[in-house]
Amino acid sequence: MIAGSLVGLALAGQLLSIASGMLPQPMRDTVRNGIEAQRSSEQQAQFDAARFDSVTALSLRSYLDAAIEQGIPTAPLINRALEGSARKKSGAEIMRAVRLFGAALAQAMAALGPGTPVAELEAGASALRAGVDEKSLAAIRAVRPAGAAIIPLMVLTDIKQRGVPIVTAIDAVTAIARMPTSDEALNGLRETVAKNAVRGPGMAVDALTRYLKSTASGSKPASAPAALDRKPIRPPSP
Amino acid sequence: MTERNELPFHPANQHDTDIAQRFAALYVATPTVEAGQVERCARSVLAQAVHQRSRSAWGTSHVRWWWGAAAAAALVTMTLTARRGAAPADVVGVHGAVTTLDKNAVRFDLRLPSSAKAVAVVGDFNGWDEHATPMAREKRNGSWSVSVPMAAGRHVYAFVVDGAQWVVDPMAPQVPNDGYGPANAVVVEGLPK
Repeated sequence: MIAGSLVGLALAGQLLSIASGMLPQPMRDTVRNGIEAQRSSEQQAQFDAARFDSVTALSLRSYLDAAIEQGIPTAPLINRALEGSARKKSGAEIMRAVRLFGAALAQAMAALGPGTPVAELEAGASALRAGVDEKSLAAIRAVRPAGAAIIPLMVLTDIKQRGVPIVTAIDAVTAIARMPTSDEALNGLRETVAKNAVRGPGMAVDALTRYLKSTASGSKPASAPAALDRKPIRPPSP
Repeated sequence: MTERNELPFHPANQHDTDIAQRFAALYVATPTVEAGQVERCARSVLAQAVHQRSRSAWGTSHVRWWWGAAAAAALVTMTLTARRGAAPADVVGVHGAVTTLDKNAVRFDLRLPSSAKAVAVVGDFNGWDEHATPMAREKRNGSWSVSVPMAAGRHVYAFVVDGAQWVVDPMAPQVPNDGYGPANAVVVEGLPK
């Protein structure tokens, strides 16, 4: 009985292969296109066309299709579009932001290398949009493997946005990222810079330098704003 | 005309007489005034008259000592009011705190200096839908909070106050502004997708 079932399955398989081979070329193309469209729609599951006007939705859909062909993840692009829709931006503004972020994602893919998770690519693209260059992303990748560079990239983006020069920022982040338990130290660096950046970029750089020295020496990092633990010194009277 | 040219005293000598005659000649030969000069003078006088009229609407313009005290008091009041009750859209006056509870949830706490009616958190975790994740007001301190389950990885978010004002936490990680406006980022620990 078991042998009979196996023979029946084999016959059915042969019949199916023959039938598929007998399909005319246009029909086979239609089936293939349908399968590819289904894959595309699965990858664009979050894309809700009702959130956009018809022109923007059409432009967005064609751009996402092009992104899929290039291997660019579409979820971050859809998020950018949805954010623009929620902020009630125009279709032109939304498409501009999506295109800029798509280009940044492609750059981040090239700089961070294969095997990079989408969240890390998104962090890298965000860093690029903040003014960080591709060499800096490669420097981060050199000290952190794929999947472990999100926090360094986020910290780099944040302190760059708060006025720290890129050379100083990348030196500090890569130096700390090499250390054990460096994620906590990186978050501490970001918080210190954020506190002091309120008083100006110069204070932020000063706090970053002191934090880096204290972290490298193993002492407790100074978390207080730089201006509060310094008293003005009166010059000696002649 | 001759009477008007006479001096109010009697000339004592010929020198005084000469001086009197010279003065009389000067008065007689008064230069003619140009039309443009007359117009300028008229405008100046008219402008001064209008200015005085506008000033008279505020009463007498005498400086009082208590004007300075009132101005100082108003300045202090405005400063204190701005610090205590800034508008919801005032990013500087907002202080939010993000606390990661565990691997899959993030708690957002937002302290607003004003009496907002509805606050929501929006981000890539809820499709940027301002109706998806409303925040609840804490009765004890008036802050707004919500706990949101999130997948591991990096998430971008912002707060929406009263359905119109977008607010960010100035101390939280910032993401670049691509023409949309500021937003924050948070990283949930764990292996990202």
